[in-house]
Amino acid sequence: MMGLTGSAGCFDAILPYIVTILLISSIYAIFALGLNLEWGFTGLLNFGHVAFFAIGAYTTVLLNLWGCPLVLSIIAGVALAGFFGFLLGIPTLRLRVDYLAIVTIGFSEVLRFILLNEEWLTRGPFGVYGFERPFQDVIPYQHYNTFLLILYVAILVAIYASLERLMHSPWGRVLKSIREDESVPSALGKNVFWYKIQSLMLGSAIAGLAGVLLAFYLQYVSPATFKPIETFHAWIIIILGGTASNRGTIVGALILWTFFSGTKFISRLVPLESHQMGAFRMIVIGLLLMLLMMYKPEGIFGKKEELALSD
Amino acid sequence: MQLIINGLVIGSIIALTAIGLSMIYKTLNFVNFAHGDFVAFAAYIALLTNVAFGMNLAVAFAVAILATVALGVVVEKLVWMPMRRKNATQTTLIIISIGLALVLRNILIFVWGGDTQSYNIPVRRGFDFFGAVITPNQILVIVTAFFLMFLLHYLLSRTKIGKAMRALSDNVDLARISGIDTDRVILRTWVIGLGLAAAGGVLYGLVTAIRPSMGWFLLLPMFAAVILGGIGNPYGTIAGGMVIGLSQELSTAVLPTEYKFAVSFIVMTIVLLIKPEGIFGWVR
Repeated sequence: MMGLTGSAGCFDAILPYIVTILLISSIYAIFALGLNLEWGFTGLLNFGHVAFFAIGAYTTVLLNLWGCPLVLSIIAGVALAGFFGFLLGIPTLRLRVDYLAIVTIGFSEVLRFILLNEEWLTRGPFGVYGFERPFQDVIPYQHYNTFLLILYVAILVAIYASLERLMHSPWGRVLKSIREDESVPSALGKNVFWYKIQSLMLGSAIAGLAGVLLAFYLQYVSPATFKPIETFHAWIIIILGGTASNRGTIVGALILWTFFSGTKFISRLVPLESHQMGAFRMIVIGLLLMLLMMYKPEGIFGKKEELALSD
Repeated sequence: MQLIINGLVIGSIIALTAIGLSMIYKTLNFVNFAHGDFVAFAAYIALLTNVAFGMNLAVAFAVAILATVALGVVVEKLVWMPMRRKNATQTTLIIISIGLALVLRNILIFVWGGDTQSYNIPVRRGFDFFGAVITPNQILVIVTAFFLMFLLHYLLSRTKIGKAMRALSDNVDLARISGIDTDRVILRTWVIGLGLAAAGGVLYGLVTAIRPSMGWFLLLPMFAAVILGGIGNPYGTIAGGMVIGLSQELSTAVLPTEYKFAVSFIVMTIVLLIKPEGIFGWVR
């Protein structure tokens, strides 16, 4: 950096920012794709998506610290997130749609309390660090984020492609028909409850994977990383991009995080205290959620027709 | 004994605040995730009146209820009524309510900061009561809560408004063809429900620290009370609130206090598993 001047120096200074935005966007895109499967395609109201994010991250890093090989830890993290999706689905998915919302949001808060208080297991509010990152011995540290970005984009593309295939499979069509009108698939002899459970499990497992990716990027996880607001980041991403559009979800993630890093620059210009800036961001998120649902439920990029069963 | 007293105090607050949640849930057929933040809003308005303007707490109580109800009416006119006109689905309304919850709570943080605060009232010694201590504030909470619940009972069973409200929460279409002006009754349901929630919020501020997230953490116990009591059943909700309040406090005898909050979650999940229509569903 020192010897460089002019545009090259400027570019060098901006590049890490861009890499960071893209990295976070890709993590949140994966996180939100999981929710989009549940809400966008199946119509399930999951308000505790962040819990599965946390389960994936914590399981993986703790197992790894206890000496479990990294690959196995990741698989365990993703599987456990999916398993908890299954557990939460059992009492709620036979009932009205709002019970899932209440139970999942309650679960995500209870889980955060456990992460905060069970210090013997989770190290409490101090968080967990010092775990292994994939290929950390091979990739030089100054290029590590670039490597992660390539890896994460590849994972994102893979998940996107598999979800697109799934949604055009008979299984995906059943999910969409459940979203439109549950009585139709059940009249055709489909076990609606079981399909919903599967959707919740798969969505939660995807959230778990996103949590693992977040942990590798941050090199640190703590209960504060998994506040309820993360769930609503995912909701905003989906609704911005257009419900039931996987492509829109990816675009939504990019928009949200570009906006957030923008507000970080602006925050240096406006005379607000840090808690006010944080609150202001949340007010924007909340208002956006309300206004989008009121006036443009199909999202900025979605088409109204896609809200209904079309393909 | 101490735990039972604490449980009764918290239980009456949960009961009082949850009635509105239950009534709106049944009448408008959606679960209002912003309900807890209306509770916190009321506590902050009372704090403002009491501390910044130096009024006594009775005035603050009245101002807080009026302000909260006014806010609720504005939201009804700006958000819920237009959405009903558009025939919005239940899920749309729920998502809007959670957006509203975020907005309300963060306005509180924006204005007052995230620190805990309390009313400016003299600290009075508690009385000895069968080996436990009960403070004047706790007595005030229980008495006020029960007085308001009794008032609600009178309103629902003896007045025309109350009957219209019950009819509407039973069956909207049937109520409409019997000539009930649904929009007006819905507005009154909001007024009464949020009025009770606001009263509960001010009382809650008497026995706990006032902070922006106080309503949020009350939301889960309220949901549990509503589900336990059977959605739309005010008496069941009161009983449910008491059960939740008592079991939360009694749990501290065996569990760390941090997990009080988890108790309502567990109770709720069990009820959903075995009797989703609510334990007290038969009361009405």
